[in-house]
Amino acid sequence: MTSLHNESVLPPACASRALDSISVSLLYTHSAHNHADMSYTEELVAALGKEKVLLDPSELFVYGADWSPRTPDEFVPPDVVVLPRTTRDIQRIVKIAYMHEVPVTAGGGLTGMLGGAVPIYGGIYVDTTTMNSIVEVDQRNQTVRVQAGATLQEVNDAVHPYDLWLPHQPESKWVSTVGAAIACDNDSTFGVRYGKILNCLLSAEIVTGTGEILELGHRKAHFTSSGYKLKDLLAGSEGTLGIITEATLKLEPISASRKVDMLVFPRMGAAVDYLSRLLKAGLCLEAAHINCKRRLKFYTHSYKLKYGRDPEIPVWAEALLAIAFAGDPEVVDTQRAYALKLAKDFEAQLVEEREIVEAWWSSKYTLDFEPFKQKWPDSQKQKKFGAADPGVPVGRLEEFYHKFIETAEKKNLEIIGMNAYLEHPNSIGFSLSCAVFVDYRNPDEVKRFREFHDELSKLAVAFEGTMSTFMSDTYQKAPYLEVEHGASLKYMREVKRIFDPKGILNPGKKFPRGANKK
Amino acid sequence: MSGLEEFKEELETCFGTSCGFCERGCPVYQTMKVKTLCMKGRNRTMLGLLQGKFEITPAVVQAAFECTLCGNCDRWCSLKNTEHTRAFREYLLKHGVEPMKEHSSILLSIKNYGNPWFQPRSARNRWARGLGLPKAAPGQQDVLFFAGCTSAVTKQLNRGLVASAKLLQKAGVRFAIMGQDEPCCGSTLLRVGQTDAFQELSAENIKKFEALGIKKVVTACPGCYTTLKKTLEESGSTIKVEHVSQEIAGLVKQGKLKLKRSSERMTYHDPCHLGRLGGVFDEPRDIVKAVANLVEMPNNRYESRCCGAGAGLQSAFPKLSRDLASKRVAEAKATGATTIVTSCPFCETQLRTVPGIKVMDLLELLMDATEAAEKTNGQQNAKSG
Repeated sequence: MTSLHNESVLPPACASRALDSISVSLLYTHSAHNHADMSYTEELVAALGKEKVLLDPSELFVYGADWSPRTPDEFVPPDVVVLPRTTRDIQRIVKIAYMHEVPVTAGGGLTGMLGGAVPIYGGIYVDTTTMNSIVEVDQRNQTVRVQAGATLQEVNDAVHPYDLWLPHQPESKWVSTVGAAIACDNDSTFGVRYGKILNCLLSAEIVTGTGEILELGHRKAHFTSSGYKLKDLLAGSEGTLGIITEATLKLEPISASRKVDMLVFPRMGAAVDYLSRLLKAGLCLEAAHINCKRRLKFYTHSYKLKYGRDPEIPVWAEALLAIAFAGDPEVVDTQRAYALKLAKDFEAQLVEEREIVEAWWSSKYTLDFEPFKQKWPDSQKQKKFGAADPGVPVGRLEEFYHKFIETAEKKNLEIIGMNAYLEHPNSIGFSLSCAVFVDYRNPDEVKRFREFHDELSKLAVAFEGTMSTFMSDTYQKAPYLEVEHGASLKYMREVKRIFDPKGILNPGKKFPRGANKK
Repeated sequence: MSGLEEFKEELETCFGTSCGFCERGCPVYQTMKVKTLCMKGRNRTMLGLLQGKFEITPAVVQAAFECTLCGNCDRWCSLKNTEHTRAFREYLLKHGVEPMKEHSSILLSIKNYGNPWFQPRSARNRWARGLGLPKAAPGQQDVLFFAGCTSAVTKQLNRGLVASAKLLQKAGVRFAIMGQDEPCCGSTLLRVGQTDAFQELSAENIKKFEALGIKKVVTACPGCYTTLKKTLEESGSTIKVEHVSQEIAGLVKQGKLKLKRSSERMTYHDPCHLGRLGGVFDEPRDIVKAVANLVEMPNNRYESRCCGAGAGLQSAFPKLSRDLASKRVAEAKATGATTIVTSCPFCETQLRTVPGIKVMDLLELLMDATEAAEKTNGQQNAKSG
């Protein structure tokens, strides 16, 4: 089997599996003397009951992959899948894993696009989606306490009757779980007003790598000046510090109305300048996304189905900005009118064809596709979606966009386009999705995709930005995390060691496996 | 009919996509919370099997058969997921998997009696006794009323058939029935993976229908509706297929029936075969709205949740099947409705297993409203006379 990854980030699947099998069997032998001749899988069955433990190869196969482009040869199913129902179940699982030094990878909807929850070293896969209870809705204090396996949509379904909502809304919200949203630190359509999941997260319960149950955070208070903010470490932690089991989230009142518009600009930089002007004017945007011309096609699937063609935008237009305002109708109308008035100063033109805006919005938020015509499978019949997720400073977006195109072309990858989401409350903080199509069955193309991803990630740091804004580091960025973090990386390793001294939690993510073991 | 290998590209597309949108509405997955039992997982299992990643095991068989083929996954996708699952079942049976024991007995009954209920063929005559309905004969009628086995041989369901026949008569539809010669539509065979037997039966059925010279089949059962429609369309036959609610709704809309309307809150449960898979949503609702106060469940029309009876789940996985029924009834009760109206014998029987709410056949409801109006009218005439 060949290692397809440059610099061997992702271990050659079979080789590593073979080594792991040896080490695991040695551990079994070792543990046999101490644990009444029970293997770790037998201990799991004894601790949880056989209905919560899956061992059949066909079942394991289902849990081994997410949305990330990996070749079939790199596919490594877990050795066992567990279906916990409670925090205590997870504690039992981790304690057994700790005793046997077996990898434990927790996952949710498995919609990650960079392999964050993929158990690349096998071991135990913890399917947290079995823990999806809504523990408490506190209407007065506008909070909800949930088990971490609840999907973001399930949370919203539960709080909607109270006229409240959780504004963290990625496109995967029907499947993405609260725990995965925190651990992956994924994106949100409404970031410019509400931020991302960390802005909603008040407190979280985790099980550490030793099996200790900890509550991190500040209960229902919105912020604290006390102690170190350990809760914040969970955002983007990828399950490497602990398995998130419950969370208390801040909710927002549901606005009475919302209006979404799209404007075209001759340059990306003009769209950025316009956004800056809107914020200076004191307008309160609810959503703001800049799409390059190419990327629009990816988000207007329902338009194409309806009219049999891609939407037409002016030839001179290079960037499309989608903006939303929400609130009382009069406030929305006033803000919208003012925003559209300002657009004239930025060579912008309003997209009058509402079907284009609605097609984009259904793809981005409502997900109300025509029955039997959802966009994702149709858009990926030949190749898979692959992306780099860097962040760059406000003034360098356009420059970086050209670098993205240049890099994708150099690597001979089919370009989907770039989307810049504003993900920080009331500021122009970009999360970039630089997307290409990848034929995951073609090892050479997967290799070129990874080179593309790595080049853009490192380039973003050179641009005084960051390597990751919504997919985290996973195995992909683990070998070169020092590029971003420099000397501080050793402190991160120490943090990891405190929470997970044996390095059993999602090994290979953020740091190469074994980098943090004592 | 496509075999599993022919869907390999679609399975790979699903594997490459991983959106998981199918999970949210899948009644089995939402109850069991095991990813092998939702469509994304099932597609992966099929792909792994075709790629030789693992052998057929009891877990593989469970993944194939623990599904009602309700099509909710298809609503959120652009792949033919229920067709994949049907082909998956066929694949397993052709690769040495014995039919599930509960399904074996059903198949035996279909073979021997022409219905899955171990009832003699003559039991199909029972419901029509005393109605004086003509028996289908070559060239004698344009429309065949296809009663379907379940309602015909189950005494509690006979009233719905009687109501359907009487309302068709009121609508002026000249139709005939086949009585004990009515064949099995093949729905059960198709859905438990017995494709060869289904195709053999379907070929026979087409011959029978063509020999009768009919132009249209009106079915009482949604399973018969989708199965016969697909069979006849794929064969190139010009015989049309409609569900009885489609025939009758026009009569209601045109005001040709005198109805006693009540203010009772009733909800309508879309049978998967009639609604999501058959595209018939409005006509049944028009009927309910004509006689009662229709309140919708949150999951309705394309998003309707399966009652749990379909595709062999009720017989092979009874506990899960009951759990699904309980969830659906709970959803109905939460609307404040006193009655669940449906138009499928399987849904009707299944939902009745959960206490606490009345379950009624759509046509029976309409017939009752018609008779109540006639009774009131008669009393008024008597008073005025």
